[in-house]
Amino acid sequence: MFELLDNLALGFSVAFNPVNLLFCLIGALVGTLVGVLPGIGTVATVAMLLPITFGLSPVGALIMLAGIYYGAQYGGSTTSVLVNIPGEATSVVTCLDGHQMARQGRAGAALAIAAIASFFAGCVSTLLVAALGKPLTGLALLFGPAEYFALMVLGLIFAVVLARGSVGKAIAMILLGLMLSMVGADLETGVNRMTFGVLELSDGIGFANVAMGVFGFAEIIRNLSLSSEGREVLNAKVSGLMPTRKDLLTSAPAIGRGTLIGSLLGILPGGGAVIASFAAYTFEKRISKNPSRFGRGAIEGVAAPESANNAAAQTSFIPLLTLGIPPNAVMALMVGAMTIHGIVPGPQVMTKQPDLFWGMIASMWLGNLMLVIINLPLVGIWVSLLRVPYRLLFPSIIVFCCIGIYSINNSTTDVLMSAAFGVFGYWLSKHEFEPAPLVLAFVLGPLMEENLRRAMLIARGDVSVFFTRPISAGLIAVAAFLLVLAILPMIRKRRDEVFVE
Amino acid sequence: MAGWGRLAVRVRNPQNFYGGLALVGLAAIALIATAELAGIEDARFGAGTAPRIFAGLLALVGAGIALAGLLIDGPRIERFAFRGPAFVIAAILAFAMLVRPLGLLIATYVTFMVAIMGSNEMRWIESLIAAAAMTAFCIGLFVYLLKLPFQLFPAF
Repeated sequence: MFELLDNLALGFSVAFNPVNLLFCLIGALVGTLVGVLPGIGTVATVAMLLPITFGLSPVGALIMLAGIYYGAQYGGSTTSVLVNIPGEATSVVTCLDGHQMARQGRAGAALAIAAIASFFAGCVSTLLVAALGKPLTGLALLFGPAEYFALMVLGLIFAVVLARGSVGKAIAMILLGLMLSMVGADLETGVNRMTFGVLELSDGIGFANVAMGVFGFAEIIRNLSLSSEGREVLNAKVSGLMPTRKDLLTSAPAIGRGTLIGSLLGILPGGGAVIASFAAYTFEKRISKNPSRFGRGAIEGVAAPESANNAAAQTSFIPLLTLGIPPNAVMALMVGAMTIHGIVPGPQVMTKQPDLFWGMIASMWLGNLMLVIINLPLVGIWVSLLRVPYRLLFPSIIVFCCIGIYSINNSTTDVLMSAAFGVFGYWLSKHEFEPAPLVLAFVLGPLMEENLRRAMLIARGDVSVFFTRPISAGLIAVAAFLLVLAILPMIRKRRDEVFVE
Repeated sequence: MAGWGRLAVRVRNPQNFYGGLALVGLAAIALIATAELAGIEDARFGAGTAPRIFAGLLALVGAGIALAGLLIDGPRIERFAFRGPAFVIAAILAFAMLVRPLGLLIATYVTFMVAIMGSNEMRWIESLIAAAAMTAFCIGLFVYLLKLPFQLFPAF
């Protein structure tokens, strides 16, 4: 316990460093910005800003990128409540009751509850990350190559189970991601694989290119082909930011449950903020004594998903920081950011770079505090940003992405490659393939190959090693069980229902 | 489908059928490209082992999806838009081609202008001003604030 306090003290000393404080603020601001603006996702933004973090210290870079992720969870709710368009995929369900509350003249209360819920969830999950860091890192030391491989299989299966739409298509995206990650020189033998004689490909396909293409450019292309429906910002003045006593009392249990669900789904590989918010809303509706209130301005319908998405955004750092395995696409980008700075994510981060580990955790709490201030009193500024039309927004994003990608390696090939992935991403969306599992698998691919190789070498080519070592066998069993659950059509139908609601 | 008439086979879910087929195609390309690479030897993975495993599985799953597309009804493929994507891609290509020879300033301005033509609500004066503002912002951020090594102006 005292050790935890010591560590947190170290963390706060790092986080309170003026430069890091500044990066935390920038991250929170940028996060709120992309959260508020519909049409720019978190993944694309983090990808866009990767090159910017080049010149920063590793701690500053990671603090800023983390701030973007959880900051977007705050900002997303503003647009959901006031415009009835989700600013962020994680705030889709917040529209349902949040916007109804706004129409009833209770926009202020909805925004305040969303911020309070997010802040509470942020505090709890920060503590959770701090508390779980040590034991999980200990667990990681028990892991051999076979266990790591099994864990990654489990993570990918989770991503399949939790993805929307068809299970088969999600599996296909995983396999495609793994296959694409094999392009380039083989790390062990140095032989070029699938490079088709292109020199630039022997370094592999850059992760930023893939992410920027399928998330950034493809999203813009998709948005442009939609008809431009006018965004109607609710013009009624946002007044009465303070929720009433009754509001607080009704939403308190929902915030608690949302935090719990979000924290759990954030830790699970393949989970993340989007799924957490859906799950929390569905759960709240199901246990409510009067479910018909939902969709008509029930305050729990704002409190639960907003606490869940923020909790999940933060707990998803746990598997990354302790096991070195990114549980979702944003964390996969964080791996990229860490690699740029020469940090190998995994259990050794905590022991070798305690200032980085604890500094990041402490900054999460500070960031949450900043976000409450950024979001509540300043909400008017963000609302006015919503009046910037998309026709001016998207060329700016494109320009920004181009410069960003180019600056990573000063390579025009990278820019061309991301354009190609943009077209590919558009094609994927037309055939209802989800890009998120692809990107996750793309990051995990080289790690999986390495661990599979080592496991097989140690076991002298005996595949049964994955089933005879207890931890590995357990992980594989869970993965197999989940897959069966997902494929059973009955359960799949129920799963689809969750997303329809 | 007219061409398939006699076989009485109909593509019931074009999204899955063509999507699955394309994945099989990609997997086939990968399998051909890795055919020459070393395989397993004494329990030691060769360079080609893992790619071939993944590509092989992808071919199987892709074929499964395509088959399901023949048997189970599903939505049509939405029409691909042309104007928006074309200008977005043209803008990115313009950036890639211009940034080396003409420098960041011109490349950024041109990229913005090409991209904005993809919108059917484009207005000239507003766009020209916005492009200038964005160019100034990017140069300020990347060149002066972050000090990334960009060439600003054309090299003569």
